[in-house]
Amino acid sequence: MAETTFKAKRKPGPIRFATLGAWGISLLFFLPVAWIISTAFKPKESIVVSPPVFFFKPTFNNITEALSFDNTLDYFIHSIVYSFGSVTIAILVSYLAAYSFSRYKPAGTDFLMFLLLSTRFVPAAAFVVPYFQLFNLLKLKDSYIGLIAFYTMFSIPFSVWILKGFLDGISQRYDETGLVYGASRWHIMFKVILPQVKPGLVASFVFNILFVWNEFLFNFQLGGAKTFGVPVGLFTGSTKGGAIDWAYVASIGTLYVLPLVVVIYAFQKYLLVGLTFGTVRGEV
Amino acid sequence: MAKSIETLEKSIKDVPKAKKPESKKNWFSWGLLAPVLFFFILMSVLPTIWMFGLAFYDYTLTSANKPKLIGFKNFFDFLANQQLAGSVSRTFIFLLCAIILQTFLGILIGVLFWKNDKMPGRRIALTLFFTPMVVTPIATSLFWKFILDPTLGVINYFVSVLGFERFDTLTDRTLAFPTLVFVDTWMWTPFMTLMTLAALGSVPKAELEAARIDRLPLIRLIKTVIWPHAKFILGLGILLRTIDAFKTMDLAYVLTGGGPGDRTELIAVSLYRFAFKSFKLGYSSAVSVFLLFIAIALTAIYLYILNARKKAEE
Repeated sequence: MAETTFKAKRKPGPIRFATLGAWGISLLFFLPVAWIISTAFKPKESIVVSPPVFFFKPTFNNITEALSFDNTLDYFIHSIVYSFGSVTIAILVSYLAAYSFSRYKPAGTDFLMFLLLSTRFVPAAAFVVPYFQLFNLLKLKDSYIGLIAFYTMFSIPFSVWILKGFLDGISQRYDETGLVYGASRWHIMFKVILPQVKPGLVASFVFNILFVWNEFLFNFQLGGAKTFGVPVGLFTGSTKGGAIDWAYVASIGTLYVLPLVVVIYAFQKYLLVGLTFGTVRGEV
Repeated sequence: MAKSIETLEKSIKDVPKAKKPESKKNWFSWGLLAPVLFFFILMSVLPTIWMFGLAFYDYTLTSANKPKLIGFKNFFDFLANQQLAGSVSRTFIFLLCAIILQTFLGILIGVLFWKNDKMPGRRIALTLFFTPMVVTPIATSLFWKFILDPTLGVINYFVSVLGFERFDTLTDRTLAFPTLVFVDTWMWTPFMTLMTLAALGSVPKAELEAARIDRLPLIRLIKTVIWPHAKFILGLGILLRTIDAFKTMDLAYVLTGGGPGDRTELIAVSLYRFAFKSFKLGYSSAVSVFLLFIAIALTAIYLYILNARKKAEE
């Protein structure tokens, strides 16, 4: 009660103005995406016309048509299979490694952590050739095994960094107490410590899915008709027959962007740690 | 007396160390690392070694000649290549323009949101604001291609309504590069805002409160209270952006295809072209080795700042 009266007393003037400014900037940044989303719901004949149409009766025709193309749904299924598959494996193995780094600090821990991080800092185009040849050699091209193995490594650096950060924040006393009471190492790792790093697990799961979901170049070069994901689908589908099919781009783009918007809304507090590969934690 | 201490030390040294549990622990710690090392060696180390090897070969997929060991020739060729030097310097100009703009705008918007920590619908506003940076560059560049289209695009519509000539930004020799910087800024300003918010959040509340009570002037508040804490995260943000901008490939490739001419040909785009358009695998690997070293150097600087922050906090 006291708080509400206090709030009411605050000067509304400049704060209101700043609030308006912040909202205005947010909307301005979202505008291009909003334009694409609105395009997806336009009747087909008013998408590629010269004065753009601003008022229209929304229709689902574009989206249903884009989905009715042979491989559209496949792209989504492929993306889901390889991103969830690889990230799940990555988090499991990264947890083991992060636990080892955090608790036993084997020789070369810092150097390994450094190498892991640097793999994410190399331009993708630099590495695509050796992977391409290696995949041809090992007959892994256009296979889920190959892609999942690749994306597992793609997701490991971030997962290890973030989980080690969280594990370092949990007192070794828990481990020691567990040992004294005769718990097995596995019991301590999975039943005592694991539940305490849940935020780290959630963050690395969500953001690795996001990164893998967004990855284009490797999927394009290492995948094939059986494993192409959504970004590749957008790229190849958009240029079918020379001219870009804008209705297709807008519809698939919308289906692609909307889940991302939901993810940012739901996991906003993990956004920072996600986009700094687990190296920075803080509040936003 | 001294002697007795010496003998004591010696006798302590001679005591057999409790080796067994130590080595068991060691075994266990490496066992836990094994799966990650497996993926690391298979999917990182092996391709890297492969790439180093390729860099010493004359290997072009489209030519009938067998791959030939040519030593450092690829590296010399690459250092002498004017066109490539052009794309390296272009990448640096791109980097500089994009990062200065994004940092400046990012900090401004960041402070705005920081001051407005109780604004209505803040979470929704931030969600909309952060969207550009999580959309895959492929989608982003397609979206902007549509928006900037000279005949269908909504921006050109407003330009013509205002009575100006419609223009094709993406194929215009002078406008293509600024457009690329602009789209990149649209994508990544939110990231710098995010880092600014984190940097400001890392300033202890008590210090801010004390400064407020002391009525510290703004410039001194920034200099003595905010900057010493915020500089680390801000530095990390700028460095991460540098690394990322240096990697920019999909965006430029789809948006302008490196054109018109070579106006937007960044180093990663050239690299991709060498490998998958002209199939010069040996040559492109030599360029990759060069980029790998840049990436490692940047990682080292990154960790240096990260450690400096840790030390400052202790």
